[in-house]
Amino acid sequence: MSKTEDVPNMLISDMRTEIPFVRPKPAVPAKPPNVGAPSPSSPFPPQGLGVGGGGISAPPPSAIPVPIGSHGGSHSVGHGIGHSVSHAGSHAAPHSGGHGHGGSHSSSGGSTLLGYIGIDTIIEQMRKKTMKTGFDFNIMVVGHSGLGKSTLVNTLFKSQVSRRSAGWARDEKIPKTVEIKAVSHVIEEGGVKMKLTVVDTPGFGDQINNDNCWEPISKYINEQYEKFLKEEVNITRKKRIPDTRVHCCLYFISPTGHSLRQLDTEFMKRLSHSVNIIPVIAKADTLTIEERQEFKQRVRKELEMSGIEFYPQKEFDDDMEDKSDNDKIREAMPFAVVGSDKEYQVNGKRVLGRKTAWGIVEVENPNHCEFAQLRDFLIRSHLQDLKEVTHNIHYETYRAKRLNENGGLHPISSADTQESNL
Amino acid sequence: GSSTLMYKSHDQDKEYVGFATLPNQVHRKSVKKGFDFTLMVAGESGLGKSTLVNSLFLTDLYKDRKLLNAEERITQTVEITKHTVDIEEKGVKLKLTIVDTPGFGDAVNNTECWKSVADYIDQQFEQYFRDESGLNRKNIQDNRVHCCLYFISPFGHGLRPLDVEFMKALHEKVNIVPVLAKADTLTPGEVKKKKIKIREEIEQYGIKIYQFPDCDSDEDEDFKQQDHELKESIPFAVIGSNTVVEAKGKRVRGRLYPWGIVEVENPAHCDFVKLRNMLVRTHMQDLKDVTRETHYENYRAQCIQSMTRMVVKERNRKYAHAEGREK
Repeated sequence: MSKTEDVPNMLISDMRTEIPFVRPKPAVPAKPPNVGAPSPSSPFPPQGLGVGGGGISAPPPSAIPVPIGSHGGSHSVGHGIGHSVSHAGSHAAPHSGGHGHGGSHSSSGGSTLLGYIGIDTIIEQMRKKTMKTGFDFNIMVVGHSGLGKSTLVNTLFKSQVSRRSAGWARDEKIPKTVEIKAVSHVIEEGGVKMKLTVVDTPGFGDQINNDNCWEPISKYINEQYEKFLKEEVNITRKKRIPDTRVHCCLYFISPTGHSLRQLDTEFMKRLSHSVNIIPVIAKADTLTIEERQEFKQRVRKELEMSGIEFYPQKEFDDDMEDKSDNDKIREAMPFAVVGSDKEYQVNGKRVLGRKTAWGIVEVENPNHCEFAQLRDFLIRSHLQDLKEVTHNIHYETYRAKRLNENGGLHPISSADTQESNL
Repeated sequence: GSSTLMYKSHDQDKEYVGFATLPNQVHRKSVKKGFDFTLMVAGESGLGKSTLVNSLFLTDLYKDRKLLNAEERITQTVEITKHTVDIEEKGVKLKLTIVDTPGFGDAVNNTECWKSVADYIDQQFEQYFRDESGLNRKNIQDNRVHCCLYFISPFGHGLRPLDVEFMKALHEKVNIVPVLAKADTLTPGEVKKKKIKIREEIEQYGIKIYQFPDCDSDEDEDFKQQDHELKESIPFAVIGSNTVVEAKGKRVRGRLYPWGIVEVENPAHCDFVKLRNMLVRTHMQDLKDVTRETHYENYRAQCIQSMTRMVVKERNRKYAHAEGREK
């Protein structure tokens, strides 16, 4: 049923090992027609899978066994399962392991699988679906004006995705209150489509009196949760609820070299429980390497002392592997970054950077700044996790709170459902 | 410009009086007395104020400073601190006082945080006014602030609301010289753009920063050119450093980055040299003069006026009261 061309690269096994190459196919083990009833010592219980007794009704064409001698690791797409099948006397061998060679022997490896089921193909199916539907990612940037927020986001996603590029005037006047401006773009890479929404917060921290300037931001985040909740609770729900929830909030710390500001701790304290906050040190080319290390240490200490749990939060580490990966990342945070949308020639290569009278700061050079680390962390390894933590934890916290107040939410009480009752 | 004084002996010339030597005599007396200068630095923390002061005057005034963290700073109000250092160079003594404003602009709510700064300046004027009007004027201590370096963040898009408020609150009390801090954050193009923007905004908001005196028409071209460049350099894009690094075989004051070395005293890198020359070598006296002749006189006039008004009011009140009693 699956055609040759659909086999993803990731399922091609390593030819150097004995692992037979398997193609995604229905859960019918291939066996040669001459296999008789299983011997009594066989660990395989008679199952409806067609083992023994030739109960296979219509083996799919793909179940043709590979001739002996091939170690099954045939790289060519389109062969059946493993090699062992063709051996007389052996049972329909499980696809794992190159056993089944010679003689009728019983339990190969003690596996209880009668054959290859193909559960792992789920990954491929999900992947295909994701590629078709694309996915949403919503990132918010917070910090006072001039810290390079828009440039950094553009640099991260290698596209002009920030508010600036959407036609907003370059050097706008500082707004009197904090505004929330969301801009969406669909970007594509390797066949995968992402609808990226960048939420900017101009006016944050720019006033003389910045009391409560975090409130409009907190309100916006909760509004997105509310929107999602209303959809979820509806009687007739959309197949795919549009997700506008903020998956990640990049908080820009000014590179003073001293320590966090009062506004920084106030904001992060209040919002770290409703959204994933990733603090970054902005415009890090202001600091020498030594200054940067000292500053980072001080900032981390302050974050700890204030009880601010930034992403990745320790309490959500799933297992030891996660924990050790995340510990390394937490140790290195906040990442000191530099952003740029201009290219220069350095050592024969074109690099993104900033050209000063004393040298060129290369954005993607790990010796210059930690942009590459941030990008890898944010996009290449933890993108999905950010969404999951938002959905499974922050959103659920919001939902539980909402359901507990005023006796909870009724689907009926939602105005939208009036029509669905018809 | 300071032309070198030619001390020619014209004793034989009967018409020569000799007071051409006066500047020399003043010079000698001042050298004996020594100079004093009070410089204020203001701006939010982390803009390199202390480092710049140390770089300008080759001192280490802030050696024992302890940086407060965010928690500790919550209850901080804007303090005014003074550090005095005596510097001597080629026989000339300078008593330099640096007035710092830690805590400025650091809180979440910075409403009127310039008030303590303005009050401090007024207090020095008041003290001088009192001393000047007093009986024993031999040893008047002049603590008036001669110049205020205001540090503008390089991370903004020009002036921030707090910058505007501060400068407007103080521009009639002290000579404000705006500087663009931590200028090594910016590329040359960005520096140029920001300077233009800031100058435009200063004009737009009616902020009166310190004006360099126009040079006399009889000065030479070089000097006029320098003077013009100076005016075009505002705000001075500065970088400070307390460390010496090795660059191209020479040892320079600078900052070492993986991508290069910033030399503080290299005019192609920043305006540090321009600022230092202006502050110390060419305009120190003028800064003091403007403080004396303009800012202090304004204060004094206002003071006298309000005192007079109070006296008149009091007199009228007494008079009215007395009249009332008579009736």
